[in-house]
Amino acid sequence: MELRKAGIFFAAVSMTATAAAEATESLNALVWCDHTDPALIEPFEREHDVRVNLKEYEGTGTALAIVDQSRPGDWDVFVIDGVDVPRAVDAGLLAPLPADELPTENLFPELVMPENHTRDGVTYAISEKFGYNTISYNRDNVDPADMTDMSVIWGDKYSGRIAVYDYYLPIIGMVALGLGINTAEISASDLPAIRDKLFEMKDNSKQVGEVVSSQTAIATGEVDVLVGGGEWVTAGLTTELPELDWVVPEQGGVRWSQSIGVFAESEKKELALEFVKYILSPEGQARLATSSCYWAMPANMAAAEHLSDAQRAALRWNSQPDYLARSQLYPAPDIELDAMMQDVWTEFLQR
Amino acid sequence: MSGGAWTRERILALGFVLPALAWTLVFFVAPFGFMVAMSLWRRAGAELVRDWSLVNYLGFLARPHFVEGLLNSIEIAAIVTAASVALAYPLAWFIAARVPAGWQRIALALAIVPFWTSYVVRSYAWTLVLSNKGVVNEWLTSAGLISEPLQLSSTRFATVTGFVHFFVMLSTLTIFANLKQLSPNYARAAADLGAGGFQTFRLVVLPLTLPGIMVGGFLSFALCLGDYITPQILGGNNELVLPQIIMLQLGRRADFPMASALSIILMLTVTLAYLACARWLKLERA
Amino acid sequence: MTSRRLGNWLGLAYALTVFAFIFLPVAVLVLYSFQGGRLPVPPFDGPSLKWYGQIFADRKLMSALANSLGVAAISSAVACVLGFLAALGLARQRIPGAALMRSVIIAPLTVSYLIIGLGLLASLNASGFRPSLLSVGIGHAVINTPLCFAIIYSQTGAHQINFERAARDLGATELRVLWHVSAPVLAPAILASYFLSVTFSWDEFIIAFLLSRFEVTLPVEIWSLLRSGLNPKTNAIGSIVFLSSVLLVFALELLVFRKRGNP
Repeated sequence: MELRKAGIFFAAVSMTATAAAEATESLNALVWCDHTDPALIEPFEREHDVRVNLKEYEGTGTALAIVDQSRPGDWDVFVIDGVDVPRAVDAGLLAPLPADELPTENLFPELVMPENHTRDGVTYAISEKFGYNTISYNRDNVDPADMTDMSVIWGDKYSGRIAVYDYYLPIIGMVALGLGINTAEISASDLPAIRDKLFEMKDNSKQVGEVVSSQTAIATGEVDVLVGGGEWVTAGLTTELPELDWVVPEQGGVRWSQSIGVFAESEKKELALEFVKYILSPEGQARLATSSCYWAMPANMAAAEHLSDAQRAALRWNSQPDYLARSQLYPAPDIELDAMMQDVWTEFLQR
Repeated sequence: MSGGAWTRERILALGFVLPALAWTLVFFVAPFGFMVAMSLWRRAGAELVRDWSLVNYLGFLARPHFVEGLLNSIEIAAIVTAASVALAYPLAWFIAARVPAGWQRIALALAIVPFWTSYVVRSYAWTLVLSNKGVVNEWLTSAGLISEPLQLSSTRFATVTGFVHFFVMLSTLTIFANLKQLSPNYARAAADLGAGGFQTFRLVVLPLTLPGIMVGGFLSFALCLGDYITPQILGGNNELVLPQIIMLQLGRRADFPMASALSIILMLTVTLAYLACARWLKLERA
Repeated sequence: MTSRRLGNWLGLAYALTVFAFIFLPVAVLVLYSFQGGRLPVPPFDGPSLKWYGQIFADRKLMSALANSLGVAAISSAVACVLGFLAALGLARQRIPGAALMRSVIIAPLTVSYLIIGLGLLASLNASGFRPSLLSVGIGHAVINTPLCFAIIYSQTGAHQINFERAARDLGATELRVLWHVSAPVLAPAILASYFLSVTFSWDEFIIAFLLSRFEVTLPVEIWSLLRSGLNPKTNAIGSIVFLSSVLLVFALELLVFRKRGNP
């Protein structure tokens, strides 16, 4: 009996699964977790009668690993760190975009980044969202003045009350800034000094965690300082926890930016382009800026009118000119340096 | 007996075995063999280079933080196994020997109820229990026992607690099953021969329940060694165990060859533990 | 007698302490699923049902739930059929190489899930298949086949072989023997192994994580929930999984195991 039931069940489920898969057209996007918010995706799905399949990753290495393991044509849309766009172009992953259909003139000027997004006059990607990896802290429990100096992250004044965000690129970038090295100029010869400071930081930190455990740690008072934090950690929490704050230290902060493009091997390039245009539209930008995984600044200034005053305040819209001027981009190591950085990072975790 | 004629019955029996055998060969043995081969290749830049060498294994030995990962794994698994068995044995014994027969099933079912929470959620729940503002620290503070919260979360203690929680349930089951198989006659005979309660336990019951202890212990050790979730959620990345390093190789750089080599090192460790257990068991029986 | 009574009290106290330890995280999990605010830590400011409302409105979570049920039901059925046939074959007849076959079938039990998942993933990539729920199901059937085999094999014996022989002597075809004799005789073992497999598949994370892509199972979805924002939704879905599993076990206990055995 049981076997027969199982057989019928098997047939039923597999038929439903096949039917569901063929119901509508689908678009496959490789994204950071902020794009998985239904409030962002569903309007596009409804408008185009399409199902957007999202695979989230954390870190360009992971994304390229996923692409590496896929068949040509598997992917349509790629959201990737702005500094890594040249790598993707080198690998021939991205398709040219029609520059005249993109709202480039509405972007914050620092986010246009033509040296990253275009090659030989051809546009391959466009910025969609940006923010900073800096120092987040609990104003009630630390001296805000201390937070303006990057060396606080490896000093022992707040020993045991520091959490570190588990992503090697921004944190190595922050340590480099603290040592007076520009993030774009980090070389293998700088790694030993960076490594030493990382280890000092590890000795004084309570935990190293990903987005949520970092958020949890600072929101629950587990720690008072979050290295690598910024508005992406705290903006979504400000209504409940107004004491959470963040600052770009004197030495500067690390700026991250995400870019969006279409895969060269995609068989649905037109639909993929529609998706890119939707994400870059003022409404799409406002939804992306306040999506559930993390908040951050939209690249398109026209999003302002679709955000409330409170949302703009949480994103610190008005301070952007100052922040943009004082921040540097993520390090963008070549593949050998990247492997060395990851090794240092694993050592750092193991310490 | 074997090697006799291939009668119709035998061919039929073989036909029954073949599907499972083929399934295991295709989806387990072959992938495993592929992984062994992969561990002898290497990743250079973004390319997979198919020349045969031990470079990944040597790379493991050359990186102290990788070797330390293996040692952390073994240490944690050993602590967890010992603690789980030590906590579970008295409980299993109490249920088997002191709880009235009609209630034993219920007591045992209760002991493993949390087993049915989702595995990922269980680890997460422990972070809520152990955090600075978690219930343990809240209770201790309100009871006046501590003034500063104890640093329980993001530590090895947290990882071990999460593991022990799971394996106490498992070991209680295996030891209970073993205890129930014992005839009460053994204990009675020992008492007749003048053995006291503790002597009976040490000389009769304990040796006879060694199989249950070893099964629970080995399962705990092996499962603990191969687990990624619990240390990842509870350990706060303050130390890495080998499965975490494997996932780093896989997730952040798609270094399948290195991940394969590390997996094989992990598997060899489990095999050694198994051989140690098996041999020790056999000696006891002889 | 008094020392024995003291021992009983001590034993009871000990058992209750261990029970408290075992139930502590579950109690905290369930309690804070009714939290009013955004953070599932003390102080408790509920009760509120809003997080339950949110998970039922969460499309991804609900489809992950359905995926998990489907994968568990189907992969366990496959594992059960394979295990059942192999157990019958190996129990009935002495086949040359039986010991070797037994160890091959049992082998996946001795290897950690991470390694099984990694091997399947590498082979999948090399052979050009895409990760999907199908590959997750295959992975789960790989880990559960030896389990089903071991459980059913341990219950085979002279008793069931004699029944089969009698049926065959009466002229039943092999298929009828299988369906009308072997399966019913071994039904308790088959059922037990089926539900154990369902449990393992339902709760399995690492293979499902490595071998899936867009369509994921519940543990993988919970994992990404954990990484995408701290909130009591995780408590709510965890509590629901817990309560439904306990109800299922309870129902099985009443319906299946009470039928036999109890006087």
